[in-house]
Amino acid sequence: MSIRALLFSAIGLLSGCQHNGMNIDFDKALSIAQKAQQANKTITEPEEISMGNGIAANLLGASPLLADDSVQQYVNEVGRWVSLHTERPDLPWKFGILATTDVNAFATPGGTIFITRGLLQKLDNESELAGVLAHEMVHVLRRHHLAALQKEANLGIASDLLGVALKEKNSAVLEKAIKAGTEVYARGLDKNDEFEADRMGIVIATRAGYDPFGLPAVLQMLEAGNAQDSSLALMFKTHPAPRDRLNLLDKVMGNRFDAYTAPAQTDKRFNNAVYQRI
Amino acid sequence: MRYAVKQLVKLSSIGLFMLGWLAGPAYADQTAYTVRSTEIKQLPFSDAATVARLDQNTSVNIVKRDGGWVRITSKAGNGWVRMLSLRSSSTATKRGDSGLQSLFNIGRSGSSGFTVATGVRGLSEEDLKNAKPDQHEFEKLQRFEVKKAKAEKFARDAKLKSQRLDYLPSNGSS
Repeated sequence: MSIRALLFSAIGLLSGCQHNGMNIDFDKALSIAQKAQQANKTITEPEEISMGNGIAANLLGASPLLADDSVQQYVNEVGRWVSLHTERPDLPWKFGILATTDVNAFATPGGTIFITRGLLQKLDNESELAGVLAHEMVHVLRRHHLAALQKEANLGIASDLLGVALKEKNSAVLEKAIKAGTEVYARGLDKNDEFEADRMGIVIATRAGYDPFGLPAVLQMLEAGNAQDSSLALMFKTHPAPRDRLNLLDKVMGNRFDAYTAPAQTDKRFNNAVYQRI
Repeated sequence: MRYAVKQLVKLSSIGLFMLGWLAGPAYADQTAYTVRSTEIKQLPFSDAATVARLDQNTSVNIVKRDGGWVRITSKAGNGWVRMLSLRSSSTATKRGDSGLQSLFNIGRSGSSGFTVATGVRGLSEEDLKNAKPDQHEFEKLQRFEVKKAKAEKFARDAKLKSQRLDYLPSNGSS
């Protein structure tokens, strides 16, 4: 959003309020606009986390957790280990398997990652799981959801949502922010943010000691998927085509990942923790 | 006697494992094609002996994956090719859920007897737009949170070792 657009909108906001007979300070309106513009940069970590927690609760309203504590624990252990290899290792990272049969994974601001039972069931080993979780972590690290929210919201919402409301602990506006934030998952993120999550995700999973080709293998599995399959519909709609994602990974990976392999123990563990259970 | 029982338990768990393994990962049994001219190697290493060379756009059958390599069978020969030299053959001609479901179920239904739990269904765009918060589930989620030290032990248990590696440039040049 350009400064000029913000100014126009701020003035619009101001005159709108005057029409309603309200008295608003121009300086305040301007400062709201400025805050909105910088919201993505200035939103503090606690704000990011509280908004993300609200979105996570909403996603859990759309699908409950899979009722299997042992698999939930396992996914948290894999995820937490992988998260230690990111530049934000101290976020309150938590991971949940949604009970839905849909094939998908989600990240909410502040470090909550969901994978659906439908996707987990199609994975073959711990490296693939690590690759999927690492991809989602990048959305958190790079604040992709906040960017999507800010891009799509009009000034009124953007300023309310991100600039002022969270700081002033205005719960009604926070609620609005969380609702708008949840809707982002129905539309998807910026295509380039998805490519970035692939590119950084494979590095993060490799840093954690996993097979770098875990994520590409998942993409190849998805590529073979049928676009008509209802369990893939939302994921296909909200992500670039798996083939395009593979083409980009193909370009950047070359043979520089050949030296890395995952220890065999991880296969055995995945087999016991996931394969035999769900 | 005790030993025998132990062995039996061991054997049956190996049996279970084998069953899972033999049922085969979802990845197997796919057909794919080459996106570039590529060598079939005897082993999954770039310096392994070359079995044959595949032209671009050659169809192959995937047997299994090992790291960045895929074991294939083809008219030109059998062996290992680089995973990213392959793309899945289009399944666009298949219609309805049956195509992909049957493909995926090769791997999992046999080994785990998976059935869809009653009442569990897909997650639609509308579900997300109309979602209402579930605080109870959120509290449950928080209980699974794992502390750093526990995650580090989890990694050690499977001999996972941290690697130093920089992020990749976006344009592919190094």
